[in-house]
Amino acid sequence: MQRKVAIVGYAQSRHQHNMQKTREDMVFEVCKEALHHAGILREDLDTVVTASTDFLDGRTISSVFLSMAVGAFMKDESKVEEDGTFALYYALMRILGGSHDVALVEAHTQGSTMNPHQISCFTLDPLFDRSIGVLNDISAAALQARAYMNKYNVSEKHLATVAVKNITNAAKNPYAHRKMPGLTEKEVMKSKIFCEPIRELMMSPVSDGACAVILASEEKAKKITDKPVWIQGVGTCQSSYLRDRDIDNLDSLEMAARTAYKMAGIKNPLAELDVAEVSEKFAHEELMIYEALGLCKEGGGKKLIEKGTTRKNGDFPVNPSGGALGADPTCATGLIRVIEAAKQIRGEANGYQVPGVRRALAHGQFGICAQKNIVWILGGKSS
Amino acid sequence: MKRNVAIIGCGQTKHSSRRRDVNVAELVSEAVYNALEDAKVSMREVDAFVVGNMPGFEGIAQPEQWLGEWIGTAGKPVIRIATGGTTGGSVGQGGYYTVASGLHDVAVAVAWEKHSDSKEAGATTGLLHVGLGNFFHASAYGLSLKNLVAINIVGAAAGVAVYQARFYMHRSGCDIRHFDMVAAKARRNAAKNKYAHLQWPGCTPEDIAKTEIITYPFRYGHVCPASDGASAIVVAEESIARKKAKQPAWFKGLASYSDEENQLQSENFGGVGVTDPSEQRGAWLSAIKAYKMAGINNPQKEIDMAEIYQPFPSQELIFAERLGLFDEGTAWKALEKGDTDINGRMPCDPSGGVNATNAIGSSALQRILECALQIMGKAGEHQVPKKVHNAVAHGWGGVTNYTTVTVLGDSPGR
Repeated sequence: MQRKVAIVGYAQSRHQHNMQKTREDMVFEVCKEALHHAGILREDLDTVVTASTDFLDGRTISSVFLSMAVGAFMKDESKVEEDGTFALYYALMRILGGSHDVALVEAHTQGSTMNPHQISCFTLDPLFDRSIGVLNDISAAALQARAYMNKYNVSEKHLATVAVKNITNAAKNPYAHRKMPGLTEKEVMKSKIFCEPIRELMMSPVSDGACAVILASEEKAKKITDKPVWIQGVGTCQSSYLRDRDIDNLDSLEMAARTAYKMAGIKNPLAELDVAEVSEKFAHEELMIYEALGLCKEGGGKKLIEKGTTRKNGDFPVNPSGGALGADPTCATGLIRVIEAAKQIRGEANGYQVPGVRRALAHGQFGICAQKNIVWILGGKSS
Repeated sequence: MKRNVAIIGCGQTKHSSRRRDVNVAELVSEAVYNALEDAKVSMREVDAFVVGNMPGFEGIAQPEQWLGEWIGTAGKPVIRIATGGTTGGSVGQGGYYTVASGLHDVAVAVAWEKHSDSKEAGATTGLLHVGLGNFFHASAYGLSLKNLVAINIVGAAAGVAVYQARFYMHRSGCDIRHFDMVAAKARRNAAKNKYAHLQWPGCTPEDIAKTEIITYPFRYGHVCPASDGASAIVVAEESIARKKAKQPAWFKGLASYSDEENQLQSENFGGVGVTDPSEQRGAWLSAIKAYKMAGINNPQKEIDMAEIYQPFPSQELIFAERLGLFDEGTAWKALEKGDTDINGRMPCDPSGGVNATNAIGSSALQRILECALQIMGKAGEHQVPKKVHNAVAHGWGGVTNYTTVTVLGDSPGR
């Protein structure tokens, strides 16, 4: 990278089903808190990038009435659609380009206003898939889950194990949506079925939530904080559309991870990283993500979950915060993963801190069957 | 440390009310392949894509996920940027940052709109929804939806622009005849641009003055069309740019400052708002920053031509002043003298501009693209006669609060 860039501050809302706040209030609060967390003022910001989609916000030009709430007025600002991690990528590019030093990135969705599962129908091919009316993100994910499960002989119990791991982790996270301590696999497998084999507790909840991250160039970061979290690597990639790809693997995530690992100089992710925060919108996706990230061989995802490697107290914890199964405010989910990874590095994850984290991975995704992926490698002081 | 970045290829589609011969995906690919051909770049050499449009107008959410196959995005980074009217400008600037960051070397920036896919004119209904988003705020004052429509607050783009034009008329002393002149010039220029929508060779202000008043001071002949169309640019870093293009159009300065919200529509989150929508402080700030980056001290002398986002003719005058091309309140005098004609001292919108062609998502990218064409000497019939060293491209949108300003030049030096 042309310059070193660090995360110097962040904040997230308490994610829940219906926040009882306007979108503007919710966003204003997290942005103010993020500035407070970094110990800087709005005047110190050079650029602001927000993320949401017009459909999920339920209005045209969704960012237009947020420029006051995010503090973007009279600032060089822009809006990236889809996951907040893509906004973070754009903010990073703005800083790397040399014309900005401090950036605020904000992402939000109020799932209680516009149901993201209904909105997912509008991302389908309008000429054919939408008009036949059988596909949405859940039914497509069910096809994906079956294709993957058949290929590698994965059972529904494996999916339930993933769900139990993440949802019980979420119970300790004060910001998470689902609060179900002591959840068992039996309860997951008895929960309401949406689209075989996807059950209610195997998919992410519909949440309201927002989060904000402050990025700074090396010179500014060192002045702002003594605990900067450095961006060591990043990679993003988009796969083909649903019908033109094999849905039993996440090829775009694999390519994104390869780019990020190369930038960060990582050869063996399982040994060189300490923790991962991934956006698994459905339980089976977490197993597919293990494989695409190179944490195990192809088809080895189920073994990692069987052995408990990815549990909070395992060798390589994945989603100690609860992940997307814990809370999923659609556009904010990936950016929350970045925040959680940064918290682990700074030792701020009260109640679910993994000891001795120096390097962490965060993953964001968007689209049906995780069509778009982005991988971040973050590191602490020593690196 | 800063990388020099240039536009090395431009592609656009023919614009018209209804492109029935293509679907959205085909429309977008038409522009992308034209740009790649122009840049002599193969799909394999493209590292990243920046895409954007106004999703509500065609009713497709995240359209790049579906139509990515048509433009070769599979296996590559795709960033989607959407900021309303400025979408195209933001996408073009996104293309710059993608390459300037050093993360990618060649990027394609593409923006589009296919209004005819929506049942009603998107520019009307879509923007109505922007206003309706704040209906809660207005209803707190006892206003009903009917009141709001009656007083133009949710009267879509024209509703806002009318207020803006009246403020400007009051401040500068211009009148409706000057709007006739701008609109006539836009249609005359468009006749020389084979991609433009509303082409009217030899259109005179008198022709425009014959059309009926829609809402004072705008006549039917003043208003932009709703077009189907797409535009794309290929952006590359210095060594590739010098190899591929005889005369690349270099990015010299850029900014996109947001103004405070228009008070008529704002929820007044910060307790303040803009009462005069022709003031456009965001445009001032953007221009100042972009010129500073470009090393331009006196835009009146150093800028050779401008592409201004003017869906309504008043906006060409307002923003020519905000971009520092004329002194405050004098743009209409320059217009009278013919300074802003293709062969004038400061040509404004030689392509016909947004007033003649408005595929909303793509409109602001088209401004950047047209400036690049003028610098590369590829504009064809509407090429300005003088040599273009520096050109400024402008985009405008939101609820009168978004601006993008991009300065391009024939050399990367600042």
